[in-house]
Amino acid sequence: MATIPHDDFLAHEHEDHAHHDHKPGFFARWFMSTNHKDIGTLYLIFAVCAGIIGGAISGMMRAELAHPGIQYLGWFATHIFGESNPSFDQTLHLWNVLITAHGLIMVFFMVMPAMIGGFGNWFVPLMIGAPDMAFPRMNNISFWLTVAGFCSLMISPFVPGGTGNGAGIGWTAYAPLSTTGSQGPAVDFAIFSLHLAGAGSIMGAINFITTIFNMRAPGMTLHKMPLFVWSVLVTAFLLLLALPVLAAAITMLITDRNFHTTFFDPAGGGDPILFQHLFWFFGHPEVYIMILPGFGMISQIISTFSKKPVFGYLGMAYAMVAIGVVGFVVWAHHMYTTGLSEDVKMYFTTATMVIAVPTGIKIFSWIATMWGGSISFKSPMVWAMGFIFLFTVGGVTGVVLANGGIDDNLQDTYYVVGHFHYVLSLGAVTSLFAGFYYWFPKMSGRWHSELLAHLHFWVFFAGVNMVFFPMHFLGMQGMPRRYPDYAPAFEKWNHLSTVGYMVMSVSIVIFLINIAYALVAGKKAAGNYWGEGATTLEWTLSSPPPFHQFETLPKIEDDHHH
Amino acid sequence: MASGKTHDYHILPPDIVPLATTIGAFTFTSGMVLFMHEMPGGKFVPWAGLAILLAAMFAWFSKIVNEAKAGDHTPVVQLHQRYGMILFIASEVMFFVGWFWAFFDFSLFPSEISKVVGGHWPLKTMEAVMDPFDLPLLNTLILLCSGTTVTWAHHCLIHGDRDGLKKGLWITIALGLLFSSLQGYEYLHAPFAFGKNTYGSAFYMATGFHGFHVIVGTIFLAVCLKRAYNGDFTPRQHFGFEAAAWYWHFVDVVWLFLFVCIYVWGNWGFPVD
Amino acid sequence: MTLGDFLHAIRRGTRRAASGLTLLSITVAAPAFAEGADRLAVAPGGYTPMKPTPGKGMPVDGGITFQQQYSPNGDYALWMHDMFLLPIIIAVSLFVLGLLAWVVIRYNRRANPVPSKTSHNTMLEVVWTGLPILILLVVFVPSMKLLARQYKAPPANALTIKATGNQWYWSYSYPDNGGFEVISNMLPDEEAKKRGEPPQLAADNRMVVPAGEPIHLQTTGADVIHSFAVPSLWFKLDAVPGRINEKVLFVKEPGVYYGQCSELCGARHGYMPIVVEALDRPHYNAWVMTHAGAKVDGAPEAAPAADATPAAAAAPAAADSAADAASSSGSAA
Ligand code: HEA
Ligand code: HEA
Ligand code: CUA
Ligand SMILES: [Cu+2]
Repeated sequence: MATIPHDDFLAHEHEDHAHHDHKPGFFARWFMSTNHKDIGTLYLIFAVCAGIIGGAISGMMRAELAHPGIQYLGWFATHIFGESNPSFDQTLHLWNVLITAHGLIMVFFMVMPAMIGGFGNWFVPLMIGAPDMAFPRMNNISFWLTVAGFCSLMISPFVPGGTGNGAGIGWTAYAPLSTTGSQGPAVDFAIFSLHLAGAGSIMGAINFITTIFNMRAPGMTLHKMPLFVWSVLVTAFLLLLALPVLAAAITMLITDRNFHTTFFDPAGGGDPILFQHLFWFFGHPEVYIMILPGFGMISQIISTFSKKPVFGYLGMAYAMVAIGVVGFVVWAHHMYTTGLSEDVKMYFTTATMVIAVPTGIKIFSWIATMWGGSISFKSPMVWAMGFIFLFTVGGVTGVVLANGGIDDNLQDTYYVVGHFHYVLSLGAVTSLFAGFYYWFPKMSGRWHSELLAHLHFWVFFAGVNMVFFPMHFLGMQGMPRRYPDYAPAFEKWNHLSTVGYMVMSVSIVIFLINIAYALVAGKKAAGNYWGEGATTLEWTLSSPPPFHQFETLPKIEDDHHH
Repeated sequence: MASGKTHDYHILPPDIVPLATTIGAFTFTSGMVLFMHEMPGGKFVPWAGLAILLAAMFAWFSKIVNEAKAGDHTPVVQLHQRYGMILFIASEVMFFVGWFWAFFDFSLFPSEISKVVGGHWPLKTMEAVMDPFDLPLLNTLILLCSGTTVTWAHHCLIHGDRDGLKKGLWITIALGLLFSSLQGYEYLHAPFAFGKNTYGSAFYMATGFHGFHVIVGTIFLAVCLKRAYNGDFTPRQHFGFEAAAWYWHFVDVVWLFLFVCIYVWGNWGFPVD
Repeated sequence: MTLGDFLHAIRRGTRRAASGLTLLSITVAAPAFAEGADRLAVAPGGYTPMKPTPGKGMPVDGGITFQQQYSPNGDYALWMHDMFLLPIIIAVSLFVLGLLAWVVIRYNRRANPVPSKTSHNTMLEVVWTGLPILILLVVFVPSMKLLARQYKAPPANALTIKATGNQWYWSYSYPDNGGFEVISNMLPDEEAKKRGEPPQLAADNRMVVPAGEPIHLQTTGADVIHSFAVPSLWFKLDAVPGRINEKVLFVKEPGVYYGQCSELCGARHGYMPIVVEALDRPHYNAWVMTHAGAKVDGAPEAAPAADATPAAAAAPAAADSAADAASSSGSAA
């Protein structure tokens, strides 16, 4: 990778710039932005807000699940969602609304905007030495469409959706529950929310691919590109090719619901399983969309704090490409119990297990990068190491699920919930916090408290393991997911899980305090505040970088370590 | 903007149009919900949204045209646009993959249980389908023909023959309109209804989205024609035109697949109307 | 959880593994089932619902592994999980954890002030690509075997039962027994406790099946997708509207086995349990005969001859048409 650590020279350059580094006024800057860093900031703020809302909803869920029986749903229905005298069924429907909203918010409005919209926007141009994105105006609409999608989703819980208010269809929106099974506008609002956010993401994908292919600084070949940029490139391709299929699928939902088509309606010969194929053809690549940029960030961080170049750079890059490619041909592992034939099940079992291989390459290369390094355990590094372990735990339970015959007893149980929270809420989110602490001073120009960042990690680590590890036990014992109530035998682990949630939520408070602290009283950050190990181009700039960076493109000399 | 840049990339000033476009899109989708559920405002909110959306898009594309004229589209920026257009078309291809997927699911595995389908494609309960070698074949020829005329226009443009450019475009647009009209006629006289069963669903949604793309492509070409009259495009720089042509070819290819799969193969051996 | 729990689980796992190995050989013989006279025998004394055995066919308090299995495929799957998958994933996770720990100890800034600059080692890269492939191949073999077993076609004269998921209850019809239908609703918690059954899992009418023989179970959905799942039988099959899914259910021994709807199906998704009550043939037949219009599977039409003759195989088909007439009057609730 490229190496240009001329810190003092650059600080100097920045001062030169300072007087003509004009920023637009407030409204123009934040509502009409065409600046990749500002748009990245908007995405990050948005993602944190969405994360807090999605996290709060999961708190409501954990509260309800702390004990058997229905405790709080009725209260939520009346006091938060304004239903007067909800019937028992309406109360139960609220559960489905909560999990649907939680799943969709976390996936589409927290992880994706944070990783791709936030860190991708901020650091892809910086890392490749580009002054901005290829299509700055389209960059802006990508963001606003995400916001519009979120608004549409937020309307849905307050309008009728069948049994009660809101869309209670799960984030997977399986037909016919999402068509004939749920009358009322709530489901349409939820579906259109995905249309809007999806359109934004497709445009974002086009923007990133074009930027990465065309705007690399002179001398930066594809094989010298930082791994974070590689990860966003692969992710963008997954988005580009997977999202339109989802768009078609949910358009079919809309027309089945409202215009008498029968794509998924057996009465007209339609096939509910068709929806699942279309959904998961998108849905499985989607899960890698949510993790690949995280992989990229972890690579940068591990290398920086080990003070070593990434081990097996090419293997790392092409492992991500392999994950992306194979990710398109394993979708039916989410459908093992739908009545697939023997051959099909054998194929998907085999193909799914294959993904463990490139993922293993990544895990071991990270460790090899640390091997022989001189590691300083700054907060991003601690988060990154947490990531490696937690993601591995989530990944290996995926390999258990990959076996079609085994999955028969785990599909739609809490084992699956445990699996995907380990890769998402413990994997993807941990990588987000790692990236956040890695780059926050770069973005804001101010230091967070390292102490609080470490504390945040340990409390979070303890909390989320407590929340999600017991879910594997529950799943193996047979507790189905998407249940507001359960047999008393499941109480012990559910209760522990809820206690874990309380621990975890303390860590989020620490996080917010840390941001507030940094913004109010944080020390000023230097250009390359991590020092020696940080070798990518963003470290050659001041913190925060000038409003328009690289007005003269940096040149990448041939580097030393190849 | 901040001066002193020594690169050829296009750095833009702040712009309200993306937000305006989003408001249009959001108003449209929300309005559609109101419309579909016969709620207050359902009659006009979608139209309002559509109007905002179209106006904003008009503003957006006008800006791009003006920037092109102002010389902002340096060679590297044009390269961006090429990539952008190719990727956009790639995403459109995947969108159609979804509709074809549905079609092949229904036609290769027609439901045995459903009385409407009866394990047959076209459905057992259908009396007749369209004759693929009637209007659809004509439409195929029309689209193929329009593919050549747009290439002719491009050829003229490259060789500085503005008249030929305009003629080629006029004919292409005319063929596009002819296609759409014939398609509309066909819909009105089709021996099966929209929706109601898998045949009507797969057929109308796939060909309908194609038809929508034909209309968009026609508008795109019409804009190019207008620009040709305005004196835009040079033999060396005319990406707006090329993008329209690419799009048109894409629409053309999708039609070929629709024709071969849905009209010919899907209807094979079935009584035609 | 305590370390003790863990150790306990591991010990249980090894014990299961040992029995699993023997299973490999015996289960081939297991599917042989009651033929002839036994199949037609009707136990005297009618039917009284069986009392569940605590801990059998239901989740156990604070349990941390799979439920005990009561079907041959369940035994095999459980064996595969306990012997292959679980040890492998624990080993992989601990291995990664161990490497991380080592790196922390050995390569922190103080222990190793000068970083090396190594960034390649082809040998290593080949090993960490090849080793996971080998491990996965080891998993691959039992995994394919398990799938093949699960898809083994049932004998032609296997009893057919059809489970239909409805919002929000199950109905079971018995085409081979005259086509009557059983409607199964969840028991309120109070009622369940009164009857000595686990709350949330108990139902008013159970799906009664014969033990010790393969059953041809069909599932379908009446409105939206549901899923018929019984953890202790390693059985889950979605009930999809417009489709009939089929799979073999084999219950090794009499007992009550609880399951729950396992596909989101609307408000009361969590309130449509599945209760499978397996009885030996004579008692199963006795249960069958409590329904109006019912007949013992294979009885009237089948020749009294013992073997599975073409006549016996044809019987279910004949029963089918009778089923339609019977189902309307079939005893429900
Ligand atoms: C970030 C998101 C993410 C990621 C990365 C993954 C990764 C994987 N997932 Fe997961 N998955 C989800 C998100 C994710 N998943 C979600 C959200 C669902 C549920 C959706 C829903 O129903 O709502 C789901 C569900 C799901 C199912 C369906 C379960 C069911 O519903 O019945 C399956 C089945 O095969 C599966 C498998 C896998 C596998 C094999 C991987 C692999 O990629 C993992 C590979 C990683 C490793 C294996 C660890 C590291 C490797 C080594 C250290 C090498 C050595 C290892 C071995 C030899 C084993 N996942
Ligand atoms: C990324 C995805 C994601 C994340 C982070 C989470 C986080 C959490 N989830 Fe998640 N969950 C899903 C995705 C996710 N979930 C999905 C897809 C489903 C399935 C839905 C369905 O069935 O349809 C589900 C379902 C689900 C269930 C099962 C419900 C059921 O089946 O009935 C439960 C139950 O406890 C649960 C709990 C939690 C908890 C306690 C957290 C806690 O960890 C939450 C704590 C909050 C955070 C950790 C986020 C903090 C982040 C920020 C504040 C932003 C930071 C941003 C930057 C640094 C830029 N979730
Ligand atoms: Cu029926 Cu869930
Ligand atoms: Cu998947």
